[in-house]
Amino acid sequence: MAALNEVQVHAPDVSAARSLAALAIAEVRRIEAKYSRYRADSVVSRINAAAGGAPVTVDEETAKLLDYVDACFRQSRGRFDPTSGVLRRAWRFEPGASIPGLRELRPLLAAIGWHRVERTPDTVRLPLAGMELDFGGFGKEYAVDRAATVLREAGAASAIVNLAGDLAVLGPHPDGSPWRIGVQHPRKRQVALAALPVSCGALATSGDYERYLEADGVRHCHVLDPRTGRPARGFQSVTVHAPSCLVAGSASTIAMLLGRDAGLSWLESLELPYFAVLEDGIIVDRFRSGP
Amino acid sequence: MAATEDAEEGRRPRAPLAALTQAALALPIVLASARAGAAQVGEVGFAALGYKERGLIKVTEPVLWGRLQVDDVWEFEASGALDIVTGASPELVTNLPGTPVQSVTGASINDRRRTAQLRAKRRFGDFSLSVSRAVSNEEDYHSHAFAIQGEADLDQHRTTLAIGLGKSNDRVGSSIDPALDERRDTREYLAGVTQVLSPLAVVQSTLTVTRGKGWFNDPYKSTLTFYPDEILPVLFADRRPDHRNAVAWLTRYRRHFPGASGTLQADYRLFRDDWGIRAHTLELAWQQDLGERWSIRPALRYYTQGAADFYSPVVPRPRPEVLSSDQRLGAFGGLSPSLRLVLRLENGLTVEGTAGYVHDAASLRLGGGGSEAFTTLRAVYGILSLSRAF
Repeated sequence: MAALNEVQVHAPDVSAARSLAALAIAEVRRIEAKYSRYRADSVVSRINAAAGGAPVTVDEETAKLLDYVDACFRQSRGRFDPTSGVLRRAWRFEPGASIPGLRELRPLLAAIGWHRVERTPDTVRLPLAGMELDFGGFGKEYAVDRAATVLREAGAASAIVNLAGDLAVLGPHPDGSPWRIGVQHPRKRQVALAALPVSCGALATSGDYERYLEADGVRHCHVLDPRTGRPARGFQSVTVHAPSCLVAGSASTIAMLLGRDAGLSWLESLELPYFAVLEDGIIVDRFRSGP
Repeated sequence: MAATEDAEEGRRPRAPLAALTQAALALPIVLASARAGAAQVGEVGFAALGYKERGLIKVTEPVLWGRLQVDDVWEFEASGALDIVTGASPELVTNLPGTPVQSVTGASINDRRRTAQLRAKRRFGDFSLSVSRAVSNEEDYHSHAFAIQGEADLDQHRTTLAIGLGKSNDRVGSSIDPALDERRDTREYLAGVTQVLSPLAVVQSTLTVTRGKGWFNDPYKSTLTFYPDEILPVLFADRRPDHRNAVAWLTRYRRHFPGASGTLQADYRLFRDDWGIRAHTLELAWQQDLGERWSIRPALRYYTQGAADFYSPVVPRPRPEVLSSDQRLGAFGGLSPSLRLVLRLENGLTVEGTAGYVHDAASLRLGGGGSEAFTTLRAVYGILSLSRAF
């Protein structure tokens, strides 16, 4: 991953901090190897390679993670769909790329649909050749939670695990002060829009600014609606504070996918602190001032 | 809202967070609390208040407060204030000009009031207990109060119940009568409920019962009445019942409108006591967020009250046992608009400025029937406060 990943640990001495951080980093690497679609031997690659064929046996961790994804799919009424990654074949988020039309999107949309995936407690089968599972929408968040859990179990009382802005905080600094987490300005690089105080829990952000394509003054971001194949509209960014990074990440992604009004009422219904920048630049800060 | 669109995909279950959290709990990860408030470990602040009642009284009130949260379990709060009162005070109601009027004596009041309050709160899971102690001292009035309050969070913090008990032991003196040294003791019972109605709306209702006994007379107030058929007027010192039992019921409603970035704040208070006073207060305010840093809050408060049974601007014949011409016990109404501006800076500093106007008059009483002797009161006030979270 090109983005900044970091583990910071408060420990009595440097060697203790190093060994704690090494544990966390090893756990992140384990999960990346297991669920990367760039590695032929990963669980994801095995499932995708068998699309349209026989069921693939999965371990308990993967099955539970897919159960979680299933809950997101249901809660988002189908917006959060781990089979929507095939849309990447039509969308190229790079300068000069063109906006795909219905002709290109239609065959891909036919290969999307988590509800069609056949699952038993220990197997997964994608029913159509060409269907794909993509852990991109939750694998990193899960890695953050696992790394934080490993640190906690190893006795760390104050630490932060940050994978490209999605992070978990394990308690305040030793002096009791919270970690100050900067929220990236969605339109100005290197500018923080706010500094959110976080002592525990996780923070995840979905935004339209990381990968996008601009055409005719319209920004097309990489968060794609699995029903239309088109980018989500309504938010520049959504940051959610939740008990776990997985929950924070799916909560913010679902808000992006729902669009401005439905997204805001989704966020309100969660009763979690959040910080959102709407399409027109208006900030909704429900972080410091709760409902 | 658009949340109800495309119902064909099925209804969204009632508690999305519970569904996601339950699924996440099946994974080998540890979930932490995500209360944003828990991150703030303390706050210190300073406020100054100025009040000017056209020529009558001016109060400046520097207040200092601090709040400290320890381990998410203990919370301590302390505040101190100094009131400086200068100017004259109304003392006498006389019918010498024909109709009763409030007359201001030349005696000027200069007083300093010092107050301090301490509160400690301990949280035991969904239950919390707080104790507080308050002391207030001025030349002619000393007050010591103690209170204990318990709160219980129910239904995943959607409902909070509170019960409380307080007592205040006061001593009343007088700068014009050094011999005056009387007691006033008050007990207070409180029961309240806070209910989250929706993610955007919350309502809080609190019933407070107070039972007071002791000296309620105001040593600075008296009534001077001339009768057409008598040569000498009658001077009657303020004399009130030696007990006062009151019930106050306060209901507050808050509704946030995310689309408009604003919050509606509506408060209603009903008050009645065994002196015969019935009062209603309604306050409506709108807090509008202007971007991330600024917010503005215009508010309008309306107050109306009926007179106490023993209120009279003239001394009736035969002379009653209890009588007060203090116009605060009369029938009147009041309108008070105010405007507050809040600036929140990135370093945790919050600056708040409030300006308000008070207009009390007999004619503003709901349904008419205000006390004729009520002297219209017009006052302006301003509050400036600085606070910093750390």
